[in-house]
Amino acid sequence: MLAGPRCRNFTSLYSYLGLSLRHIPPDIPALVAQCATPPVINGRVLPTTVHTYSRRAHPPQAWFPPPSPPHNATMPPPNTPEEGVPTAGAVVPAPANTSATYILGRHHLYPEPPVSPPPRVPTAPPAATTESSRATTPNPSRSSSRPRSASRDSSASCSNRSCLLPINYQDLHYETEVDKSLECPICRTPFHLPLTTKPCGHTFCASCLDRALEIQPLCPIDRTPLDASRDVCHTRIVLDQLDRLRVRCPNRGCDYICARELLPVHYERYCEYTMVHCPDPDCDLRVARADARGDRGCLHTFTTCQYCGKEVMVAGLEEHYDADCGGHTAKCGHCNAIVVRHRMEKHTAKDCPRTMVACKWRPFGCSEWAPREVVEKHEQGLCVYQAIGRLARDRMEDRMIINELKERVSAMDERLRKSEKKEKNRSRDGGGHFGGIPSAAPFMPDLDLNHSPRAAPSYNGGTWESPEDYMLAQFERIESRMEDLRKMIMELDGHHTMRLLNDTMRLNEQIAELGSKVGVLGMHTTWLMNVQRQSRGQQRAGTTGGTPGPGIGVAGGVSGGGGSAGGREEEARRYFSSSNDVGLPLRRNSDGRNPPRL
Amino acid sequence: MASGSQKRLAKEYADCTKTPPTGMSIHLANESDLHKWHVTLEGPAGSVYAGGRFGLIITLPTDYPFKAPDVRFATRIYHPNVTNDNQGGICLGLLKSGNWKPSTRLLSVLEAIRGLLAEPQPDDPLEARIAHEYQNDRKEFEKNARSYVNHYAKGPVKFDVAPPNVNASGSSKDGAAPSR
Ligand SMILES: [Zn+2]
Ligand SMILES: [Zn+2]
Ligand SMILES: [Zn+2]
Ligand SMILES: [Zn+2]
Ligand SMILES: [Zn+2]
Ligand SMILES: [Zn+2]
Ligand SMILES: [Zn+2]
Repeated sequence: MLAGPRCRNFTSLYSYLGLSLRHIPPDIPALVAQCATPPVINGRVLPTTVHTYSRRAHPPQAWFPPPSPPHNATMPPPNTPEEGVPTAGAVVPAPANTSATYILGRHHLYPEPPVSPPPRVPTAPPAATTESSRATTPNPSRSSSRPRSASRDSSASCSNRSCLLPINYQDLHYETEVDKSLECPICRTPFHLPLTTKPCGHTFCASCLDRALEIQPLCPIDRTPLDASRDVCHTRIVLDQLDRLRVRCPNRGCDYICARELLPVHYERYCEYTMVHCPDPDCDLRVARADARGDRGCLHTFTTCQYCGKEVMVAGLEEHYDADCGGHTAKCGHCNAIVVRHRMEKHTAKDCPRTMVACKWRPFGCSEWAPREVVEKHEQGLCVYQAIGRLARDRMEDRMIINELKERVSAMDERLRKSEKKEKNRSRDGGGHFGGIPSAAPFMPDLDLNHSPRAAPSYNGGTWESPEDYMLAQFERIESRMEDLRKMIMELDGHHTMRLLNDTMRLNEQIAELGSKVGVLGMHTTWLMNVQRQSRGQQRAGTTGGTPGPGIGVAGGVSGGGGSAGGREEEARRYFSSSNDVGLPLRRNSDGRNPPRL
Repeated sequence: MASGSQKRLAKEYADCTKTPPTGMSIHLANESDLHKWHVTLEGPAGSVYAGGRFGLIITLPTDYPFKAPDVRFATRIYHPNVTNDNQGGICLGLLKSGNWKPSTRLLSVLEAIRGLLAEPQPDDPLEARIAHEYQNDRKEFEKNARSYVNHYAKGPVKFDVAPPNVNASGSSKDGAAPSR
């Protein structure tokens, strides 16, 4: 393999590959095609996935700035960063709300999460508007104070009807205790898109730092002068920790709790309470996703409340019942408590102390049936079925875990098999590179757990003396099986990683080879151009013998005709020997005259 | 992100009410508005202000924490770093717009004000005359300060220092000082 001059881009591509290997197997051919300018900022290579917010909205290639000339065109002009509203759309058309304006001027560490409040529609009467705005809109007063979002605010209606309101990360409710060191010293909530200052090493949310620097270009903690475009970098470790925090879905009424990393997926795709555009294309208000479904049409019409007779917007009915409905409460028939009317069902089902309920261990044999308050006491201490019930419940949970593991193992197996197949195809084509990778089958022993006894109460007829014994035996069994599964998964994981490494090693080599070939080609071109220039010069000087003119192209370069050929070849030889002095190893043919071959 | 700073405000308020600096009690001027705080501050023991109860009004701008809070005395006080009028403006390095750091906690602002009462900063005065007196005639300063305390800072603290009652509450500026 030739070790020609290696293009800088390829060098960074290597490090890029090294970085990304651990995340996802990159689609290498596609990557080579796109990555004319790999994402290097201040000598650092950007990771593939910087933040989950962008993962869904921007496919991985969104992280590559386009090749140089268009690059400048798509970036906001450096001194007016605020103006660059819908830029990255040039690479990947992003929905309106995820348009990647870049925070902090020339920094494209993070695409800016949309900050503009949703369009306010002046037509709704005051009562309803305040209600819905409390639920959905960030305080508009703040946005008006900021020129940045003004342009977007002014567009009253949103052209993209599938856009969603951005998640306000500073308003999230965290379920886990958040370490103080993960809190932004400005907003005092866990960092969102953390940026660290280079000179003094302080970390802030991108939006907080951005605003602070807008007011004065100093570190908000120690007032070190900062240049927004140069002096910040992102913080990977912090990101990882933040991704794992458990948060509650920000939508009113939704109880979903998940790792913060996964929140955007839930919010954007699944949550029934996410406010989406009204199904009526002429209406600019929003409704909960669940309400937008079906043929209910626009819910922003008015209806009369069945309890108090007020005019209320259909979409805001729930809220009206909860908040300001005059006749919204009623007495519970069992306990005489005052309850919000449309919550009565929930009250009797969950809270009312007088409603008759069964003991929660009923499935395991308890026959208690009494008012809730009595049953609660019973459940807490008196119920004899409690022990067995707990065991059975734990066992059910274990079973669920096992099933999940099983699924994961089989998914892995599937993946392995696929790459196996690919590998086989490839080695058939390209003459087997890697022998000796064992087939998938040996790692996959019998995974069928279904033969284990399923119904808990079978201990009666079994060999166990007591339910406890039976449960204990079950536990031991399950534990050992889980251990087996764990081992298997780890083994699979190891093999998988090895396989990936092997695959990419070959690709890396190929890329290096390509790189050197490109280098050699470049030299060919230079050489040919040199020769051409030379011969033109000679012609202009009015040479004596040789055929004048056009025989200059590629062929002419290699074997020039006539008397001037000697001179030209002399020139070429000088060129190559001088470049060899510089240290470029070149192969020459035995006659030492031809340019290097590929 | 007004709601973001709302969260910060709530946290600041919780911090300050949970572990207030010695001799301070903090309330909201209006239950639903986190932007205006009423702080009652007891003169630090050992200082000339001991025994007095001073009202502080903290107004947090909508741009908080990017802009510094506005802190002023609601109770008149004879102090080199506090304007000797009904405005009660305070000169505190921490709060000057050129020095304000968005990461500064309100708890430390309160501590700083308490510190200012315990130890005035005559080198950076708002009332040059009082500062001069503090530096050159400490006895006279202490006498004046104590008489102010007795005159204004006894009894329940009032927070109504709106500009309209300037004339109603205080007599003419200099006449307000009981003994001079
Ligand atoms: Zn922040
Ligand atoms: Zn700093
Ligand atoms: Zn949800
Ligand atoms: Zn509608
Ligand atoms: Zn009603
Ligand atoms: Zn009830
Ligand atoms: Zn029971």
